[in-house]
Amino acid sequence: MHDFTLHRRQMFQGLIALSAVGGLAACGQQQTAAKGDAPEPPPPGYFTPEEIGLISAVAQIIIPETDTAGAIQAGVPKTLQDLATEWGDEAFQLYWREGLTGLDAALTDDAEISFVSLPPDQQLSALAAYDTSVFAGDIENGFYRDLKATIVQAYYMSEPGATEELAYEAVPGEWIGCVPLSDYPRTWAT
Amino acid sequence: MTDFDVIVVGSGMSGGWVAKEMCEQGFKVAVIERGRAVTAAKDYTDYIDPWDVEHLNRKTAQDLEDHPIQSTVYAFQSYTRQFWVNDHDHPYETAEGTRFAWLRGYHEGGRSIMWGRQSYRMSQIDFEANARDGHGVDWPVRYDDLKPWYDHVERFAGISGSMEGLDILPDGVFQPPHDLTCAELDFKAAVESRFPGRKVIPGRVANLTEPTQEQMDLGRGRCQARNHCFQGCSFGAYFSSNAATLPAARRTGNMTLIPDTAVHKVIVDEATGQATGVETVNIESGESRVITARVVFLNAGTIPSTMILLNSANEAAPNGLANSSGQLGRNMMDHHSGARGSAILPGNLDKHTFGRRPNGFYIPRFRNHTETAEGFVRGFGYQGGAFRDRWWTGMYKEGVGEAFKASNRTPGPWRIGMVAFGEVLPNEQNHIRLHPNKTDKWGFPVPVLDVRWGDNERNMVRQAIHDTRAMLEAAGGIDIETDDPETAEPNEPGRGIHEMGTARMGRDPSTSVLNEWNQAWDIPNLFVTDGSFMTSGGCQNPSLTYMAFSTRAANHASELLKEGAL
Repeated sequence: MHDFTLHRRQMFQGLIALSAVGGLAACGQQQTAAKGDAPEPPPPGYFTPEEIGLISAVAQIIIPETDTAGAIQAGVPKTLQDLATEWGDEAFQLYWREGLTGLDAALTDDAEISFVSLPPDQQLSALAAYDTSVFAGDIENGFYRDLKATIVQAYYMSEPGATEELAYEAVPGEWIGCVPLSDYPRTWAT
Repeated sequence: MTDFDVIVVGSGMSGGWVAKEMCEQGFKVAVIERGRAVTAAKDYTDYIDPWDVEHLNRKTAQDLEDHPIQSTVYAFQSYTRQFWVNDHDHPYETAEGTRFAWLRGYHEGGRSIMWGRQSYRMSQIDFEANARDGHGVDWPVRYDDLKPWYDHVERFAGISGSMEGLDILPDGVFQPPHDLTCAELDFKAAVESRFPGRKVIPGRVANLTEPTQEQMDLGRGRCQARNHCFQGCSFGAYFSSNAATLPAARRTGNMTLIPDTAVHKVIVDEATGQATGVETVNIESGESRVITARVVFLNAGTIPSTMILLNSANEAAPNGLANSSGQLGRNMMDHHSGARGSAILPGNLDKHTFGRRPNGFYIPRFRNHTETAEGFVRGFGYQGGAFRDRWWTGMYKEGVGEAFKASNRTPGPWRIGMVAFGEVLPNEQNHIRLHPNKTDKWGFPVPVLDVRWGDNERNMVRQAIHDTRAMLEAAGGIDIETDDPETAEPNEPGRGIHEMGTARMGRDPSTSVLNEWNQAWDIPNLFVTDGSFMTSGGCQNPSLTYMAFSTRAANHASELLKEGAL
């Protein structure tokens, strides 16, 4: 937890520096999605750097950096690395490894080309089309659904996801059953 | 000369009350707790933020290995596992063809730390139910006997709720209720208009919304609307033994809490027929020790208290202590909670909520009351809530990129969820017994639970599902989801976590274990005031009733002790 706080502080300093030179949102979204360059890469663990690269790229396209952190800035790849390394058993790890391999092939239509090597606009269009097909039921891919659910959960349970993107009150102090949405326009994180 | 005036076996929901009342009456009380002592600093996890939750709150392999049964309860989380027993250390068996989920924690305060805090009085209708339809035996008390004790425990515990004037669910001493949400108010209006015999009211819950001086003097504070209750509350804002009754007992200087000590037997002097104390085993060392007192209260929880009595059989009582009626261990009840429903309630998209209410709405029983029923006696009530959908719907929906992110930032539609809790009939066939040769690692016999629900429970669940659908439809609900009302079954016994009835009270020593004062017919200085005394179960969450009977019995015992009758 302490390390994470420190990490967050460094990340904010980086963001402030970036926004000072302008174009924070556009710049962040395009480049981080393409390169998967987290402020700090996830620690070594079960997933290989290539797998982390794919997870990071997919995560950042699903939840890009806007006026708030994207999935990478929020530490989603690290959460997934820890999940696979510390929590997952062999079956879980294998399911993810095979799932990621299959997803990479499905997203590029060419086993020789990796998803992360595509230009950012092609990554976005390929994943968006794939996501649509899965949720329309045209493509069966339970792993992709699990991956997406895990990315989304990891993001909104992260500190930036909960406190900056959404609204979070550790100690609300009181309960009010009916308030104007305009007073509290964001989804509560908990 | 005895070691103590009073022994209380168990420090949970009911035992804490007996300890408080007896200590305040000036008696020296030993509270014997089989689990560890609990401190807020060491055991409570109520300050965990979402990003501190390990591994997205997924249960670990160790959780599933150590807690294969306990880990299935809704309040078992990666940050609350410390409050649930290791299932291997605390085994039980079920009779062939039966199931039972026995969900529990052994530690100071027991389940009063993890309870759902819903607090409802039983009514005259409940106390008359057995006499009216012939199931079980007649309660030896009526509502008026309990009313002052309900008042007493509500005032001290702190119950939030609204005055409604309903005969089926008597009003009490309430702190201000929790608001209903905008969608719940619309639901209430629609249900009450379409079904004039039904009411949708704020849940009555043991969370302080306006603490009294007495409560604040015990270090308790106002509920902070975090809804972290299952994690323990550092504010002492909900009622638990740990926050309320045990501190009250402790400040008298009369309480000795003896943790890590399991009671295996109640010891009886065969010459006098009186209990003289208990035989205990230290959980850590395995060492046996006898502790003596003038009066023994069993508050170990329905199954453990009953097991202790069964295990205390002697020459004069070969079938178990206080069991001349043969009813000890019989009439096991719970509440079945199989009827669930949910729907989206359109509208109110310009409204939201603030804070996290540790509570919901309640629909008091209406079947066999304001409305008739076919195929069953008694009835059911509902608990539920309606909130705007949050980010987790985003885990399962289409979309990527900024639009997807924005769609999760905006609250979704209002969604209502509700579940019925139904009364289970007392039935002698539903019983617990000692395993003939298996024991736990401390040498205590393993319980065998032999409990199954019958037609009355099944028919009630199916009616509850029909009624759920009708109310969701009346409120304009869409995407209504319920079980199939034609084929649904009550859920497994034990899931209500309201096991009760195995040492019932009654009017006749030949058909009941306890008299109207929770006093064993056979052994006058032995009292049982946990859920095992319940003669019928109502459909209300029962803890408040255990509290009321515990204080009533304790004050009666106190009078008897002062008169020299015990």
